[in-house]
Amino acid sequence: MTAVSTRPAAPAPAPTPDAASQARRPADPFAGIGAALRLVVRRNRVRLVTWLYVVVGLFAYVAVYYRSIFDTQQSLDDFARVSDTPAIKALTGLEAAPNTMGGAVWTKIWMTCALCLMLGVAFLVTRSGRADEELGRTELLRAHMLGIHAYSTAAWLVNAALCLACGVGVAVASILLELDPDGAGVTGSLVLGASIAGVGAVALGVAAVANQVATTSRGANMIGAAVIGAFYVLRMLGDLGDGRLTWVSPIGWGQEMQPWGANRWWVLALLLGLTVVLHLVALRLEVRRDLGAGLVADRPGPARAPERWTRPLGLSLRLQRGPIIGWSVAVLLSAVLFGSVVDAMTDLLDDASSTMTDVIGGTGVDDLVALLVEIIALVVSVFAVQTALALRTDEAAGMAELQLAGAVPRARWALDRLVIPAVGSAALLVVSGALLGWSYGASTGSAGQVGSLALAALAYWPAVMVVVGVAVVLFGWAPRVAVAATWAVVGAMWVVVVVGPALRLPDWLLDALPFAATPAQPAEPFSWTPVVVLAAVAAVLVWLGVDRFRRRDVVTA
Amino acid sequence: MGLAIEVDGLTKRFGVVQALRGLDLAVPTGEVVGFLGPNGSGKSTTIRILLGLLHADGGRATVLGGDPWVDAVRLHRSIAYVPSDVNLWPNLTGGEAIDILARLSAPLEPARRAAMLERFELDPTKKARTYSKGNRQKVALVAALASRADLLVLDEPTSGLDPLMEAVFTDAVREVKAEGRSVLLSSHIFAEVEKLADRVTIIREGAAVESGTIAELRHLTRSQVTVAVDAGADRLAALAGVHDLHQQDDHVTFAVDEAELPSVLAAVAALQPRSLVANPPSLEELFLRHYGDDLAAAERRATAADREGARS
Repeated sequence: MTAVSTRPAAPAPAPTPDAASQARRPADPFAGIGAALRLVVRRNRVRLVTWLYVVVGLFAYVAVYYRSIFDTQQSLDDFARVSDTPAIKALTGLEAAPNTMGGAVWTKIWMTCALCLMLGVAFLVTRSGRADEELGRTELLRAHMLGIHAYSTAAWLVNAALCLACGVGVAVASILLELDPDGAGVTGSLVLGASIAGVGAVALGVAAVANQVATTSRGANMIGAAVIGAFYVLRMLGDLGDGRLTWVSPIGWGQEMQPWGANRWWVLALLLGLTVVLHLVALRLEVRRDLGAGLVADRPGPARAPERWTRPLGLSLRLQRGPIIGWSVAVLLSAVLFGSVVDAMTDLLDDASSTMTDVIGGTGVDDLVALLVEIIALVVSVFAVQTALALRTDEAAGMAELQLAGAVPRARWALDRLVIPAVGSAALLVVSGALLGWSYGASTGSAGQVGSLALAALAYWPAVMVVVGVAVVLFGWAPRVAVAATWAVVGAMWVVVVVGPALRLPDWLLDALPFAATPAQPAEPFSWTPVVVLAAVAAVLVWLGVDRFRRRDVVTA
Repeated sequence: MGLAIEVDGLTKRFGVVQALRGLDLAVPTGEVVGFLGPNGSGKSTTIRILLGLLHADGGRATVLGGDPWVDAVRLHRSIAYVPSDVNLWPNLTGGEAIDILARLSAPLEPARRAAMLERFELDPTKKARTYSKGNRQKVALVAALASRADLLVLDEPTSGLDPLMEAVFTDAVREVKAEGRSVLLSSHIFAEVEKLADRVTIIREGAAVESGTIAELRHLTRSQVTVAVDAGADRLAALAGVHDLHQQDDHVTFAVDEAELPSVLAAVAALQPRSLVANPPSLEELFLRHYGDDLAAAERRATAADREGARS
């Protein structure tokens, strides 16, 4: 605010920079876009193909699997009854024509494909956007014949092509695998493809604006992921409630296209309209700001550092302040919101037929609560992985060298920094579990849930630390690929939670994965064995990674 | 003779920091102009405005007859730029990076490109992530120097280069000048600027404090003289135009104002010196005189003024 308040104080109507830039727009804003397109494709070709394979492959895989298990209409009808349960709706969204083959596949995998594409697009836009700008590469390009919007627009076009390719790929897979009901044509498949491409396009618009607003690539990715996460939570609350919030979220719009059901084409106009608006905003921001700057100018900070920052932990607490605060707010807010919808579910389940409760097992409410606890734990694991991977990102950026050139032993440097994911995730689990219980208890009038759900969430701590251990092992043994590989592991875990048995992995393997192995309280009784084993595995992984880091070269990017 | 760059009263503010306070700068066509100033004095901000990467808050800048902000794309066909800190795409090779940059300007002639790679001893097949700072700098230098640009904007272009490569760079810029092209050379390496520049502009806290040809600026400073005399050194100290006199055994060292040189040398000759060493004034001394003496005081004033500005 200081930046704004300093200038207009002068009485003379001197033109402000904003007014000047509006009057004088740069000529040829899109010049050189062809060369920029080639550069974006060249730099991202492996990533683009990977995301296309992940999204289309995941869909095709589940479709093939479902065709093999749902061989009668009776089995599809049974599945349709399950797909209306709160737990399924919370995780994978609304059903659409669930008693058809396409509808079954939709319930199972649409949300995962959509989220994969959205996050992939958000990260890819930042890679050619704020990341290049931050490192001065955009400046090098823009000193040549490259219009002010050319490089950003090239990145958007390439990612728009990725969205389109994913949409077409999913539609073609759906047609080839004959997911459309006999005699109904391929409309359902086309609507399905359009819904995937449409939500991807919205993520593209969100990322375009985030890249203009944030000053760092990490900030741009955080904003993009946070907005997508908010879309997911909003539609979850809407899907579990009366459906109004579903229409607030673009992911909800994608669901409301309902292939094979309502087949609503017009919703695509909402998705594309929002995309266009977001890009117009981004273009406007781009011409109004300086290259390399965000929307708010940097202000002078303290001239001295406190004594505590001389320790690696103290310094990394300062450096990770943004993620710590951001994730804490996101997780705790989600916990409160989750707790508030459980009560509504209780009524719904009471009315439900006995067959339905048989199908999902247990009392239903406990299952839903257990699932919500698991989702919170998964989100906390993303926080833990991100802060743990700062080991590698700081090393790659050369900042580790600066610290290690001082009198700091390597193991101490690494372990000190791992205090943040370790302690942070434990604290987040306990508090968010308690909040979930408080919010749930407040709506049902029982206070007993606070303690039990806090412990239920804390039970996931060893599982979270196993994922952190994987990150540390990769940091130690394969530093160059550690960041990408760790996120791939996290993504795979999400897929296993969502897709589960469809992967046709052996049961013992599925059960041994950290999140599945943890007792899903309150649906399952607590048991010490898996928790202790997971904690031991986490300790060994961390030790392996840190020990290797002590012996290997420091590798910058 | 026209001006390749003409800057008049340029101002730029970043939040509460006033980066440029009415800067004037001119680069005549066909000349090399040195742009000197300490870190943070506004050199790179000026250059980014001249390239249309930032827009100025006030004042006027003209580059090759056009507005650098509005006509950025058209002008960049005739401009080559080397940033002070070159970052490349880590998974692309140096040769690929040169071609990507060339594709966005007038195309490079293959022969010139190859010749420059040879002269700078740069291996274009290595991935950019394996390059040292100096080698990344060479990528930008090859792309700029192999081009036919009318105007070269070089922001501390030799940072990270070894002395052999600096010599290669000096030769290349001389060739550019011989072809009648213009160069803005921002630097704080005085020897480099003295070797190459026709004119120099010295910037301090966002405004030009000295501007002129090297010969003109030399008049503003003092020659350094060391003589060995048996006696009478104290008489020198009293002469007009003599400064900072130090005596060690029979060696006397002092600085002389250019204007008083004849009378001082006559006085020295009268002392019958056994030896005499005189160094011409260097840009460095000029620079240090501008910055060394009262820099701290000026900074205090500027900071106080900034605070005033932020409060109003």
